[in-house]
Amino acid sequence: MKSLFSIVASAAVVLSGGAFAGSSDTKVALVPGGPHPYFAAWEKAGQDAVKDFGLGKADYKVPAEWDLSQQNELIESLVGKGYNAVLVFPGDAVGTNKILGELDDAGIPTAALAGCVEQPTKAKMCFGTDTGHSAYLGTKQLIDAMGGKGKIAHFTGFLVDPNTTLRIKAVEKAVEESGGDVEIIQVIADIDAYEPADEKINAFMAAQGAEVDGIVTTAWVPAVVAAQALTNMGDKRIKMVGIDHDEVVLEAIKAGFVHGTMLQNPYGQGYIGSYAMDKIRGGCTFKANAPWKSTAQTDQFIDSGTVFVDVTDVDNYVDAMRGISLEILKTFEGDFLDC
Amino acid sequence: MATLFKKDWFGLLIVVVVSGLAIAAVKPAFLSSFNLYVLMVSTSYMLIIALAQMIIIAIGQMNLSVGAIGGLVAISFSGLMEVHQISVPVAVLISLVIGMTCGFLNGYITAKSGISAFIITLATLYIFKGINLGITEAEPFYNIPETVKNFGNAKLGNTPIPFLIVIPIIITFLMWVFMNRTETGRHMLAYGNSVQSAELIGISSSKVVITAHVISGFLAATAGILVVCRLQLGTPNIGDSWLLPSFAAPVIGGAILAGGKVDVIATALGVLIVVIISQALVIFKIDPFFVQIFLGVMILLAVLVNRYREYKQEALRKIFNSE
Amino acid sequence: MNKKIPNFIFTNQFGLLCLVLIFIVIFSTVTDGFTSRFNIFALSRVIAIDIMIGLAMMVVILTGGLNLALGAIGVCAAMFGGWCMEVLEIPIIPSILLMLGMGSFLGWINGFITVKTGVHSFIVTLATMSIYFGFMTMLTEAEAFRRLPELFTDFGSAKLFNKYISPLLLVSVATCFVLFYVFRFTDIGRKLIAAGANPEAAELSGISVNRMFIYCHVLSGFLGALAAILLTTRIGAAIPSMAGQLGMDWLLPAFLAPVIGGTLLSGGKLSVFGTMLGAVLVTLLTNGLYLLDVGEFWIRFFLGIILLMAVLLDRTREYFTLRKVIVS
Repeated sequence: MKSLFSIVASAAVVLSGGAFAGSSDTKVALVPGGPHPYFAAWEKAGQDAVKDFGLGKADYKVPAEWDLSQQNELIESLVGKGYNAVLVFPGDAVGTNKILGELDDAGIPTAALAGCVEQPTKAKMCFGTDTGHSAYLGTKQLIDAMGGKGKIAHFTGFLVDPNTTLRIKAVEKAVEESGGDVEIIQVIADIDAYEPADEKINAFMAAQGAEVDGIVTTAWVPAVVAAQALTNMGDKRIKMVGIDHDEVVLEAIKAGFVHGTMLQNPYGQGYIGSYAMDKIRGGCTFKANAPWKSTAQTDQFIDSGTVFVDVTDVDNYVDAMRGISLEILKTFEGDFLDC
Repeated sequence: MATLFKKDWFGLLIVVVVSGLAIAAVKPAFLSSFNLYVLMVSTSYMLIIALAQMIIIAIGQMNLSVGAIGGLVAISFSGLMEVHQISVPVAVLISLVIGMTCGFLNGYITAKSGISAFIITLATLYIFKGINLGITEAEPFYNIPETVKNFGNAKLGNTPIPFLIVIPIIITFLMWVFMNRTETGRHMLAYGNSVQSAELIGISSSKVVITAHVISGFLAATAGILVVCRLQLGTPNIGDSWLLPSFAAPVIGGAILAGGKVDVIATALGVLIVVIISQALVIFKIDPFFVQIFLGVMILLAVLVNRYREYKQEALRKIFNSE
Repeated sequence: MNKKIPNFIFTNQFGLLCLVLIFIVIFSTVTDGFTSRFNIFALSRVIAIDIMIGLAMMVVILTGGLNLALGAIGVCAAMFGGWCMEVLEIPIIPSILLMLGMGSFLGWINGFITVKTGVHSFIVTLATMSIYFGFMTMLTEAEAFRRLPELFTDFGSAKLFNKYISPLLLVSVATCFVLFYVFRFTDIGRKLIAAGANPEAAELSGISVNRMFIYCHVLSGFLGALAAILLTTRIGAAIPSMAGQLGMDWLLPAFLAPVIGGTLLSGGKLSVFGTMLGAVLVTLLTNGLYLLDVGEFWIRFFLGIILLMAVLLDRTREYFTLRKVIVS
């Protein structure tokens, strides 16, 4: 992972041509919805953005729990402390809009990161993985690996996470397109913590392990626990497509227990997101004809990229990610901003 | 009286057997060796968690910080091994000491201040959880030594019995001996029955309270370590979901919250009931939200049944007295 | 409560007031932004909700019991209100009344079971907490109600007094005055306190203790619903996770405010304004700790320490006042 950071960072310095040598007074707060390993890369991303683009600050601030009120309280105190741009993983797809509107009134630009808020919103953009699309692609990969037929189980995260519903629907869509030979036999949600995930996934394996042919996981913790369960069982019959880059999942891919994983790009989100906030505070605006993508929640979406890796390229996953981040950064200002 | 006590857990045993057979009749996979293995794994640490609460219920108090102690111990245990490269046995030892220290603090402050254990353990819940989050910044420890991982996955020979359940069974047995056959255990029950009369017969209340809390801390710590072995990582949110089941099992087992009446075997059967039901809900693909409602209803039913039985006992006693 | 204008200086409230003032001075000199308009407004809103949550717990503590289901009741009321306003399109005022009714009803269930079975309210509300929350998530499928009337949600963002204070705070302070009046000057209020202080004596003097206890639980549910209404206007949506898993995130503020405010857990004594000051102090400290950059993850640790210190100090104070009485 380190190499990814430094390569992107040095590339950015080259790209920027030292134009950011002067320092701006932009102080970005990167606020996830709660503690979760997925967001850990934001911290380094913020630090690198400060170094490479000359921001005043770009700090990673985590609410101690997954709770909208705590997140709001944290954001309010950060603004009190002088942060003047906020990148937030919305604690709720609509509930977070209220505070974003209030921040906008106070002249503070915001953007939704890694997950979107529903329109109408004052967030300048939603920059994240197209989670629905990622789940869809992952399921497609799984169906291919299963030879186009069989029974699938889907394990996913917090029901309160706005992404979860999108993922469930996307998996259903991919299954429908398979033409009737594939069937979802169970969806287990709300298992984005290790203890309940371990209990429920193992209970599922015990009861239905013999019937199921494939597993798709669309959240970090279920991916880790399911990969571990398959490894412990020594089962290579059941195909699994995971998500993200947890060591356990990557090891299981190398050992052949997991077919592959859908990588996301949290580092790029934090890095490019901080850059964009600085640009907007510097007077840039988003172009009217920017090449936005549309999702169910918003039509101001920018895809931070997703890529499938399996055993053939798992060792080079860092390169795969680097490619995406560089690609986005290279064209970001030209495509999206009017400066 | 002895026969009535026997009935106490005998009824629960029947519930366990009947519900097990009923589920197996509909879903034969329930009795598959892998499912039995999973069942016993869940039972293993739930058993310890329930006992950690039970011993505090015995003295008529409650310990809200059982989960927080378990979580703090879990991350200390894995952190000691990963960051400080400490060998497994030493790490286990230090972790148990940390758990017992947490329990000691609970007991000491409660005993010396006379403030209700509820409020003290509510405060220490946030203190222990706060230390946990402060140390880990909510990031799990991943590099658990192979020996620990292997221990978490090992089975006894070719049986579906997980190695993990051996320690809880031994501890349950020791707890039974402690509560029923030792003086300290009987003092605890006497204290739970009536603080005044216990003090009158010369039982030191602070000694009883502190001992109970230290044991509770030790058990919570053991549960935390077992969960790390099982999950093969030390994540800060271990223990977050322990509160409800920790009370459910002893209460289903007939424990009275006012203190003085707990039963180790009945508590263990209470754990089995909770585990079997949670698993049945997954097997039958029942709405996950039902699990919560179910636990709540179980607790209410259990207290109602206990109440009813008390009334009957009371009535019996009156009849005997009048004769 | 029943002391005749005591030496105000020796009361818990006076100590709290001093602490609040001291911390205001410290935070406004040491940190940037504490006195900024944005921060004070945000504080006033958080304080408003925490006061209400604290009051809701306080009235059950009066009976010597507690209400673990408070957060679950709050979320149920909020979700019910969201359903009324969004799906049934019931106007705002009747919807608010229905929410309060829902909260009171769930509180009544708690009280009824507690009184009829004689089981401690801890275990009853532990069970009802998961039952209420479970039913709520099942009926709503964990989906939020997000299209609430604008007039309703605007109330949560409205700013008064040169944009420094949220109207939510006025609601909470007004509630404090009403409760203070009820407990001090009305017959029913005195009966509630008497029932909590000494149930046997109260029963002998003709008070129906069971009925009083049920009233306390109903009032707790009512105030919990009121807190949920304030929170809903603030968030702008009714969300199942607004009080955390099983609504348990409300428990810390719920106990912190009354306990710091001098309400005895054994029942029979309460302090409305102590609870209010307790909530103010806790919110100030939380906000100050955030501004001081102690690290988000240590906040909980400090809140735990504060709760511990508060109860221990209260004990010491009691001990000394008792000795003073004996000595003089």
